[in-house]
Amino acid sequence: MPKEIKIKVNGQEIATTDDKMVIQAANDAGIYIPYLCYHPGMKPYGACRMCMVQVEMPPPPNAPAGTAPALVMQASCTVPVRDGLVVHTTNEPVQQTRDVIMDLLLSEHPHGCLTCHRIDLCGPQDICLRHVDVNDRCVTCPKNERCELKDTTRFHTQKQYSALTYQYRNLQVETKDPFFDRDYNLCIVCARCVRACDELRGDVVYGMTERAGQVLVGTALGSSLLESGCEFCGACIDVCPVGALVEKENKWERPSRVMQSVCDECPVGCQITYEVNQWEKVVRAIPELNAPANHGQACYKGKFGYSYVNHKQRIKRPMVRRDGELRQVSWEEAFAAAAEGLAKYKGNQFALIASPRNTNEELYVAQKFARVVMGTNSVDLATNDRPGVYEALADVFGVSAGMVSIDDLNAAKAVLVVSANLTEEQNVVGVPIKQAVRAGTQQLVVIDSREVELTRHATLWLRPYPGTDLAVVGGILRAIVDEGLVSKEFIDARVDGYDDFVKSLAPFTPEAVERETGLGPDRLLAAAKLLATNAPAVFAYALDNSVGGTRRPTARALANLALITGNVGKPGAGLMPLRRGANDQGALDMGAEPFLLPGQAPFNNVAALKRISRAWGAPVPDREGLRVAGAFAAARKGDVKAMLVIGDHLTFEDGTFGDTAAAFDKLEFMVALDQFLSPTAQKADVVFPAAAWLEKQGTYTNLERRVQPLRRVFKNKAVDSRADLDILCALAQRMGADGFAYGDSDDVLAELGMVAPAYAGISHRRLLAEAVKTKKPSNDNPLPTQVLYSDAVPMGLQWPCSAADHPGTPVPFGEGKFTLAVLSWRERPKHDDAQFPLMLTHGRVLLQSGHPMEVVPQGKLNSIKREEYVTLHPADAARMKFAEGQRARMVAATGKSVTGTLRLSEQVPPGVVSLTTLFGELAVELEASTHPDPMNHVPRLEAVPARMEPA
Amino acid sequence: MTTTSDGVRAKAREAIRNQPYKTHTILSSLLAVQDALGFLPPEGLDEVARHRNTTVNEVWGIASFYPNFRFTAPAKHVVEVCWGPTCHVMGAQPILRGLLQRLGLHAEGDTPDGAVTLKMNTCLGVCAHAPAMSFDHRLAGHMSPQKALAGLEKLRSGDQPAHAGHDGARTASGGAR
Repeated sequence: MPKEIKIKVNGQEIATTDDKMVIQAANDAGIYIPYLCYHPGMKPYGACRMCMVQVEMPPPPNAPAGTAPALVMQASCTVPVRDGLVVHTTNEPVQQTRDVIMDLLLSEHPHGCLTCHRIDLCGPQDICLRHVDVNDRCVTCPKNERCELKDTTRFHTQKQYSALTYQYRNLQVETKDPFFDRDYNLCIVCARCVRACDELRGDVVYGMTERAGQVLVGTALGSSLLESGCEFCGACIDVCPVGALVEKENKWERPSRVMQSVCDECPVGCQITYEVNQWEKVVRAIPELNAPANHGQACYKGKFGYSYVNHKQRIKRPMVRRDGELRQVSWEEAFAAAAEGLAKYKGNQFALIASPRNTNEELYVAQKFARVVMGTNSVDLATNDRPGVYEALADVFGVSAGMVSIDDLNAAKAVLVVSANLTEEQNVVGVPIKQAVRAGTQQLVVIDSREVELTRHATLWLRPYPGTDLAVVGGILRAIVDEGLVSKEFIDARVDGYDDFVKSLAPFTPEAVERETGLGPDRLLAAAKLLATNAPAVFAYALDNSVGGTRRPTARALANLALITGNVGKPGAGLMPLRRGANDQGALDMGAEPFLLPGQAPFNNVAALKRISRAWGAPVPDREGLRVAGAFAAARKGDVKAMLVIGDHLTFEDGTFGDTAAAFDKLEFMVALDQFLSPTAQKADVVFPAAAWLEKQGTYTNLERRVQPLRRVFKNKAVDSRADLDILCALAQRMGADGFAYGDSDDVLAELGMVAPAYAGISHRRLLAEAVKTKKPSNDNPLPTQVLYSDAVPMGLQWPCSAADHPGTPVPFGEGKFTLAVLSWRERPKHDDAQFPLMLTHGRVLLQSGHPMEVVPQGKLNSIKREEYVTLHPADAARMKFAEGQRARMVAATGKSVTGTLRLSEQVPPGVVSLTTLFGELAVELEASTHPDPMNHVPRLEAVPARMEPA
Repeated sequence: MTTTSDGVRAKAREAIRNQPYKTHTILSSLLAVQDALGFLPPEGLDEVARHRNTTVNEVWGIASFYPNFRFTAPAKHVVEVCWGPTCHVMGAQPILRGLLQRLGLHAEGDTPDGAVTLKMNTCLGVCAHAPAMSFDHRLAGHMSPQKALAGLEKLRSGDQPAHAGHDGARTASGGAR
């Protein structure tokens, strides 16, 4: 624990803790020290020297009495504080030193404007009396007025600038990579981007190149970001103090105000500050530095995927189908048409499909709408194609929820990731894992048939035959039990059913597991040892490859793994289900799931039914409802006749739920709430223009059960949209239902609190009121962009939170007993299909060394050209008479085919054809996409049957 | 991938593996590759990155810091002129000028025909023999412009074995450490 100490800055005594550097302690106390290379959250570096201060060094013990302390000039970002330290930050010698340093810094950056007294008066078109080159002008820089260097020159005004001249470096601005531009003519070589990429993200896309006067940030051999392994998270842009790294989209837009909200792309729940310009357009997304889930990090989706809210193609007015065509109508007419249409259907003739981008409040109202107004339990999320992932948690723990805080991930000593492409789908969860693995404090075990980004960082990568995750986990469980590595104390105190569980491990012999998965006993034993001897341990899983209905038993086996190793109810330990939608967790808690009522009460629980119908004043249907997959199947059969669909989703178009277009066609009546007239919305009879997540108030619950507030960041003025909450309530009222008159989103949460005690203490108002105030010095101080906007950060509340003074529960399941699930052996799915005898495992990585590629500019953008490698096990190749290096074609059951050079590798399990693409290819695709909301349509990587044929 | 590229990789890998030290750093691995191949091709940088479990970008940052690493195949012969203080005082400049003129170069570098690389070396470590030079990593002392040109011609005509420094015997700058 850091110790409380006191230091003296400029004669003023300040209290601080001994884990800080002088710059941090002083700035926290409101004594500003300028800096350009230091950044909160990164290690001290000492490159820019702008933060020079004088530190008093006590005389040595053998000095004669009365010797004055020596004054030493030090960079305050690299001097740790100690009790009684005396620091001077503003005296004459310090100012003189900073003068010289400022001169040297400015000699590396165009400064015609920075050193001009007219700087605040000039416009972009003005004729410059000082003949400052257009390239050199601040007004032509995209970072103007958000530039830390400019602010630093304002803070540290110099009487006279030296004759050090600046020579424009004449470097080509790198504009051909996706998402952001790099202009190294403006770089001041503070190395923040290099350190962010290395220390924070673990990617090392940049390095410092050359030396002395030529030193500059760059990639290996000046390659493009596509080649250098960039994940396009934007961390470097957020820390850049000048205009060297700038987002491409809305590059020149200046913000007129900013507001924080929560990202809508995945369940991590990154808090992001959005910049809005004077024309009510969201122009930039900057991850919040002090947010509990993301700590200043974001990913390609959150950083660059926000802009669909500004899109021209958004639905502007409600529409109703008349004479076979969607026509714009008034809200009144649309409500009337929707109410009239829906009134004809009752019970399971109707299904409601909600969006994972819906807030908790909307999901609550959506399920209430389905249950009360339509009398059916058929309400589900569009992304809910893997219920087994969360059902298993309810089987073992009673509720379905992640139990690990992202904050604690760094402290975990071991992490197991099972079939999850988390660096793409829940990107920021990967950040602390990669940091800890690179620091050597964490063992990472990855079970995945595909090669994904995390396998590069893994201590141990197990690559089983796809669909055999259960056998692998069973094998690890058995190895732990056989080796006596179980946590006996924990089992005695907290676990029931141990003997039955051990008995059920009988079929999971090393031989059987090897036959099934292709993994030898030594591999399983290594994994068992890593996971059982390093505590705390986290078990994260998405089960992408667990095909053939094995997700629920596999997740249960993982719960057993957490229990027998004693990894439940402790910080940095437990299970972490990785789902895909932003509010997937909230949907369960709200009861937007056919088999769950609000508060995750089972729908067939008589007491819960009674309690909730009393609260609602209306009967709750007790007939089983349909999940989204079932609803589509029933619609194709004609059993479901009407649907209300919120949003447009990848899962509708990629075949997850079969032919959804046919299902929509077969419907008699369909209502869509959407931002765009998507293929889904085009099928509807009534279309409502729905507000985007940045236009509404509410809450999201992330994968660590943290409820975080969404705020009305802006309102797209071209669009007459309403929040899904308002539309659903108005529609319900129009259909004669009571209990849908809510004042604002907090009224919904208050009602939820009555039926779901875990949420009783949570309200939007409380979340904002309890936001942590961060020290924000005056606007004259040159702060990093990320710090600039950070004044009050809502920390969110992790449920259960039963009362308005309850602090939330970061670590659940701290008491009580849990029963181990009994495992049963499941044969791997048989592929005796003569047409597709193999399984395709399609991976995606940032870098693939030894696989040459060419980056070719296509128009204004770079794209990747390379020969694909299709990898087979040598035994399979011999059987099918294929030879290494031969051209061959892989044809998947989905119809996709890839022609490439055949490679043979023992690393690939027999019966598998492996394909690995580059993340860069996806990035190029997304950047060039004409889809208004491309980030919501990133294809997933799943194991599918395939065959090989000669090309 | 061509076979030559595979061959380069194999050579680089072997050089990295066979370093005679307990601790393999990025720098020591880079030196091993340059000693084996005469320069650092992209494949070599990549192999060093793989060996040290980092990305090629970090390796590049280190490699590009040192002027003694080269990233293109060297010319057939390497001629180095010492321009340390002693050699400078003893007449390195006229030697350098003469060589530049003869080779048709304006600064240190390779001749267009790929026959000779001319390098300025900050110190060859033989001040007692100033002004000093090296021809294909063989030291020569007490040089004069005439002797330098004669040595160059000798080298070109093939009287000395090419790439003396690359057979493992580390001399002069071939393996600066």
